Amino acid sequence: MRLRWHHLALWAALVLGMLLLPYLVGNGTLRTMIFANYLAIFAISWDVLSGRTGYVSFGHPFLIGIGAYTTAILTKRFDVPVEISIPLAVVATMVGGLIVLLPALRIKGSYFALVTLAFMELMYQLVQVIRPDLTGGTRGMSGLPTLTRGAVNGFYLSTALMLAIAISMWLLMRTRLGIALAAIGMNEESVRGSGLSVTRLKTFAFITSAFIAGLGGAFYIHYLGSIAPRALFDINFLFTIIVAALIGGAGTVVGPLIGAFFLTFLLEFLRPYLPGAERYFVYGGMALLIYMYQPKGIIALFEAGLGRLGRSR
Amino acid sequence: MSVSLAVTGLVKRFGGLLATDDLSFRIDPGESVGLIGPNGAGKTTVFSQIMGEHRQTSGTIGLDGEEISGLSTSARIRRGVCRTYQVPRPFPDLTVAENVRVGQMPDSIWEMITRSGDRQREVELALSVGFAKGDLDRKPSELSMGNLRKLEMARTLATEPRLMLLDEVFAGLTAAEISVIAELVQSLRADGMTFLIVSHDLKALEPLIDRAIAIDRGAKVAEGPYLDVIKNPRVRASYLGTS
Ligand SMILES: Nc1ncnc2c1ncn2[C@@H]1O[C@H](COP(=O)(O)OP(=O)(O)OP(=O)(O)O)[C@@H](O)[C@H]1O
Ligand SMILES: [Mg+2]
Repeated sequence: MRLRWHHLALWAALVLGMLLLPYLVGNGTLRTMIFANYLAIFAISWDVLSGRTGYVSFGHPFLIGIGAYTTAILTKRFDVPVEISIPLAVVATMVGGLIVLLPALRIKGSYFALVTLAFMELMYQLVQVIRPDLTGGTRGMSGLPTLTRGAVNGFYLSTALMLAIAISMWLLMRTRLGIALAAIGMNEESVRGSGLSVTRLKTFAFITSAFIAGLGGAFYIHYLGSIAPRALFDINFLFTIIVAALIGGAGTVVGPLIGAFFLTFLLEFLRPYLPGAERYFVYGGMALLIYMYQPKGIIALFEAGLGRLGRSR
Repeated sequence: MSVSLAVTGLVKRFGGLLATDDLSFRIDPGESVGLIGPNGAGKTTVFSQIMGEHRQTSGTIGLDGEEISGLSTSARIRRGVCRTYQVPRPFPDLTVAENVRVGQMPDSIWEMITRSGDRQREVELALSVGFAKGDLDRKPSELSMGNLRKLEMARTLATEPRLMLLDEVFAGLTAAEISVIAELVQSLRADGMTFLIVSHDLKALEPLIDRAIAIDRGAKVAEGPYLDVIKNPRVRASYLGTS
């Protein structure tokens, strides 16, 4: 693993910028940033699995939902403190990751995507039908404990979580493991033919992805203070995660991060003009344009731009 | 570093099709054996059973006297068997160097993360199959068929095999490329590597092997010195499709 100074400088600049942001912008923007941070976490989680190994998950809300519901139920119904409920939620989500792994041992491609979509639907039905006294049924739950008060603290907490996840994934994916996971996405048979246990690598990718999804889901729900199944197990939420990763640049860590911020602010910008679901139409179109112009995403556009700058110096 | 392979009574059925028909042979340490036969004779299927990519219907596969049929493909590779594919299977988005790196990786996630691997060995391997330094950062899509086969050899060698199964290594190569691969095989033989080589290009194959095994419709039709085998009437008939 080779670290270059300009990588470290970019990360340091990002950390510093985020630290200073509350002094520069208003609370409204900070609240938008909080959503962007959580979307970035979810997009990074999706990418660790789907962007690398090529197993496209349409079921990420299923994983996020396990994390969110576990901690919500534990804190709300059993008065478990968040210090305990959040780790338990993460563990539960990792078990959920193993469940999503099962079909991936046998099927690939669009079939796998469809099966994971079914997981999300199933979860949506289950939380409504089974023990609504615990899950809150269709209406969900509110009055959950929140971890922070005010936009500034919420921003700092979500930023710290997002950066911790982003930087550790960035470091991890720069090791040989990152190459091995990406190689699975390119040619699973050849990875096996290189003497590596594909199943073990896939298991690692699924569990890591679930770990991040669970962590993000649990913290997110304790930021919102409420949980609404219709918003969580929603195809728009799912597509926002995937589109963030794709237009930012799948198969990288920084790409989904950039994509999440880009999308969140795009949606925010469009809100006054298009208050309804039409916004998703517009962003879908924009995503398609970027994707067609540069399938490797915004990060590739940045890199090309930086390369041009470097050459012209 | 060599290894012996003993295949006995190997049978593989694909539904009603008998792809391997009671095949037995052995290869001694350091030997190089040619496996020949017409299209569809079942050569590749023998390879995939030795590697555990297809499970045989019956029969045994012994490596150094130890049965390996129960082992996974990756476990077999760790024991020192490795194969190349008739159609090269590179990782398209990885560079030549990174492709070789995948072959070199230990089968342990912890070690992949904590140890950075032997970059010098990676370069050595790529150069040893005939790549130039400037090729290391190229992507497979920029490579000729000859270079793709070299890459396949380098990635296979990176797993540190003692027995190499080469499937149609000369297909689609120019005369110059054939001689590069042939030289590589010869130098590996000199180092004691054991080989089982499939090739339709018999002229290129002949100097690389100690003896040959001919199969047709999954069954062995002849075995022995190369010249005897190709002169065998049953072998000739099988190539003409009249057996
Ligand atoms: N996965 C499979 N399922 C069903 N039949 C198969 C499978 N793989 C191979 N076969 C059949 O088994 C027979 C042997 O095929 P194989 O590829 O081993 O032959 P080969 O000697 O390598 O041929 P070639 O010289 O064309 O590479 C063929 O009739 C082939 O159609
Ligand atoms: Mg074949």
